Amino acid sequence: MQEIYNLIPFVLISAGILVSLIFEMYAKNSKRIIAWFSVFIFLAAGFHSLVNVDNAQLFFNSMLQVGGNINIFIFLFNFAAALVVLMAMDYSSKYGNNFGEFYILLQSSVLGMMLMAGAKDLFVIFLGLEIMSVSFYALAGLNRMRLKANEASLKYFLLGSFATGFIVYGIALIFGSTNTTSIPQIVDKFGELTHNLLFMAGILMFLIGFSFKMAAFPFHMWVPDVYEGSATTVAGFFSTAGKTAAFSAVIITLGSVFMHGNANIFEPYLVVLAVTSMLYGSIVAIAQNNIKRMLAYSSIAHAGYLMIGLASGNYEGIAGIIFYLAAYTFMNLGAFGVVALIEGKDETNLTFESYTGLSKKQPFLAAMLAICMFSLAGIPPFAGFFGKYYIFIAAIKSDLTWLAIVGVISSVISIYFYLRVVVIMYFNETEIDLTVQKSNYGLLAVVISVILVIIIGIAPGSLIDLISSFLK
Amino acid sequence: MLTQYIPIFIVLSIAIIFAVVTVSASKIFGPQRPNKEKLSTYESGMKPVGTTRERMSIKYYLVAMLFIIFDIEVVFVYPWAVNFKSMYAEQGISVFFSMLVFLIVLELGYLYVYKKGGFKWD
Amino acid sequence: MSILEIILFTLGKVLVLLTLILLSVSYLVYFERRISAWIQNRLGPNRVGWQGVLQPFADIFKLLLKEDIVPDKANKKIHTLAPIIALFVAFSTYAVIPFGPTVTLFGYSVPLVVADINIGILYVLALSSIGVYAMTLAGWSSGSKYSLLGGIRSSAQMISYEVSMGFSVGGVLLLSQSLRPTEIVLAQSGWMWNAFIQPIGFITFLVASFAETNRLPFDLPEAEPELVGGFHTEYSSMKFAGFFLAEYANMIIASALIVTLYLGGWQLPLIDTFGLPSGIVITLQILGFVLKMGMLLFFFIWIRWTLPRFRYDQLMSLGWKVMFPLSLINLIWVAVLIMVFNI
Repeated sequence: MQEIYNLIPFVLISAGILVSLIFEMYAKNSKRIIAWFSVFIFLAAGFHSLVNVDNAQLFFNSMLQVGGNINIFIFLFNFAAALVVLMAMDYSSKYGNNFGEFYILLQSSVLGMMLMAGAKDLFVIFLGLEIMSVSFYALAGLNRMRLKANEASLKYFLLGSFATGFIVYGIALIFGSTNTTSIPQIVDKFGELTHNLLFMAGILMFLIGFSFKMAAFPFHMWVPDVYEGSATTVAGFFSTAGKTAAFSAVIITLGSVFMHGNANIFEPYLVVLAVTSMLYGSIVAIAQNNIKRMLAYSSIAHAGYLMIGLASGNYEGIAGIIFYLAAYTFMNLGAFGVVALIEGKDETNLTFESYTGLSKKQPFLAAMLAICMFSLAGIPPFAGFFGKYYIFIAAIKSDLTWLAIVGVISSVISIYFYLRVVVIMYFNETEIDLTVQKSNYGLLAVVISVILVIIIGIAPGSLIDLISSFLK
Repeated sequence: MLTQYIPIFIVLSIAIIFAVVTVSASKIFGPQRPNKEKLSTYESGMKPVGTTRERMSIKYYLVAMLFIIFDIEVVFVYPWAVNFKSMYAEQGISVFFSMLVFLIVLELGYLYVYKKGGFKWD
Repeated sequence: MSILEIILFTLGKVLVLLTLILLSVSYLVYFERRISAWIQNRLGPNRVGWQGVLQPFADIFKLLLKEDIVPDKANKKIHTLAPIIALFVAFSTYAVIPFGPTVTLFGYSVPLVVADINIGILYVLALSSIGVYAMTLAGWSSGSKYSLLGGIRSSAQMISYEVSMGFSVGGVLLLSQSLRPTEIVLAQSGWMWNAFIQPIGFITFLVASFAETNRLPFDLPEAEPELVGGFHTEYSSMKFAGFFLAEYANMIIASALIVTLYLGGWQLPLIDTFGLPSGIVITLQILGFVLKMGMLLFFFIWIRWTLPRFRYDQLMSLGWKVMFPLSLINLIWVAVLIMVFNI
């Protein structure tokens, strides 16, 4: 019975997809029902995974791990998805993707992410990645009437399948050189395999493929257009849960390599990606006038910070990445939530001009967005600061002080464009009127995210203790 | 082991030779007197209009995609079907229900396509 | 047997079978014309030879001596390739169909099947899938609108019915526990014909075979009143004859396959009770196989001249909304039968 109990998150989401399909087919008011139903199953799966931490167990011929350190990821995916559903309830009818399928695709992408996080076999990673990505491609272009959404979907599909191709080639080379796809077995042999050129080429291709999904610098081309074209809620989901899923897959592969005391031979690759992503994202974001594009470039920069944690390749680095991902998920979802609330019909109200003097017109929303921006910029009392702090500490511990310094410089650059939003909202005046559609659920999601950002910022110790207990 | 495939190889090569010889036979025996009218596309005696390289109904693509999904389902059913009797004797009714669950999941998808009008042709 | 002996025996069997199939294809055309004439109260071809029995040869010679026209707008290579694929598929599927039991010949035990392979059914299904290409490519490469419509229609039709065909075969595999056609035949000894055990599967497979061979009421790819000749509008001489031969050869293969899968193959019930010598038993069994095939072929022709053609939406909804669920029900029905009655 314990087995079934441990598998509950997976079973809940899989059964949820099927039940939602039946709702979509037969229920009259299917959208509302499915939305609340998916909030329910996301929360149930998320909290189950928080409660059930100690029972790490392997399933399906040791191909899937449930419980233990991966549960923090499962919680993040499910909670982020629940917040996105709350945001989307009113936004979807405004944007025009108010289909029951929206929630079904969200559920199936969460299932894929959970498979990626729990994978103990390279093929399960691939399976999860495909379930997630295919749902994402469809989510990006769910409103077929919008030209930009079509463009976003097609771009994401083409570049995403290109990246998947890299990953599959990588897996093939790894399998060719190790005779196994099981991650623990590969990790056991890792020391002797580092001299095998085929194996190293495979690992490199695997990493390149995931760099696409993380939106790191040379592989970032899809990010701005996809975020701009797809619905704001969906873009928020891509940038938080999607990035977390890609990092979770890399952490369960590379992380277990680091934990076994192997040398971090990927350091040069990861360092180059980290530096270029941080600087590129921060500098190009300055030039943006569309807030969604600005957030897209900021997401590239954040991928860079997270890469520092991978490059440092120690226990603190992994813990720091998980902390950062948790903080980033909430602050970014909060920011996208506010953007979704302010966005009008037909992609209006997305430029900075629309945010001029927001503190007078919508003081509460302005305050929420300001907190998210402070946190994203990494200003002390909020979650983003401690995320960066832990990651830079990890870098210094593994003698990468210069990388931490580059990270700090990049953060300073990024303060400019994050605080520009705050300045525009609070210190500029405008005559233009802004009508904001009321949405209690969207507001609720934003408030929850902001409260979490503040809590994580005030009491970072409790979260890092929780992560440490997970990582054991 | 592979000797049982020798006949297949022979049959396939004879079939290819037969096909090529048949198709090229009239190049050898038939007359060759082409002219412009003869080589134009047949359109009931009228002058041909337009090209054939145009867009066609999305329905055909939909059918092709559905075919791939359900034909793969068939491929999954075959190994189960071949081993069903012996596995049923060993493991009992769970063999039947595992396939039933697989079929129900896929048939929910089928039902969804049906309800959404994926099989409508008008 | 050594490899050389295998090759010699195979060559022998292939030559005999190929000649027989070619002859029966020619005479199937003749019989179709005579039977249709009989059904419609006409005379049919009766001039060439006694009662027109030499008519097929006259047709072949006429087509052989015609000019081979490839239209300007056609894609020449693919236009030539398409009939080759059609013929290739039609004249290689027979390899796995058993037409008799294992016999002892010159001291060797020879199974009366060209290739006794354990993936026989997959081989048939794979080749029939390749057959779709022949029509699609023929339609696409001709550069004519009639051809294109015919080709697209035929590919959509054939893949639609292939799914239910595949599921129906699943029911047969449940009982035979093997993909080897000889074992499928042996599993139907006595009166245990699959047609009686799983009538739904038999009917769905029969209907799907009609669709796969593009026979009326499923001959939309070449619906004369609307598409002239469908995918072979722009074909002439032996290329046209190639499609024609392939269509009739496919009919023969389809009926042989139905006999193998559902009507007990070469098995005749109760034949062992008469105590006949084995030579006569084997001859009777082969004759029984041919007789079952002949009856099915007559059924094919009979249906063609009795039923009108489907409309395209009717065809697709029959394939997806009726045949597909029925073949699934059949699969579950057979599994339940096995569990309940232990057959």
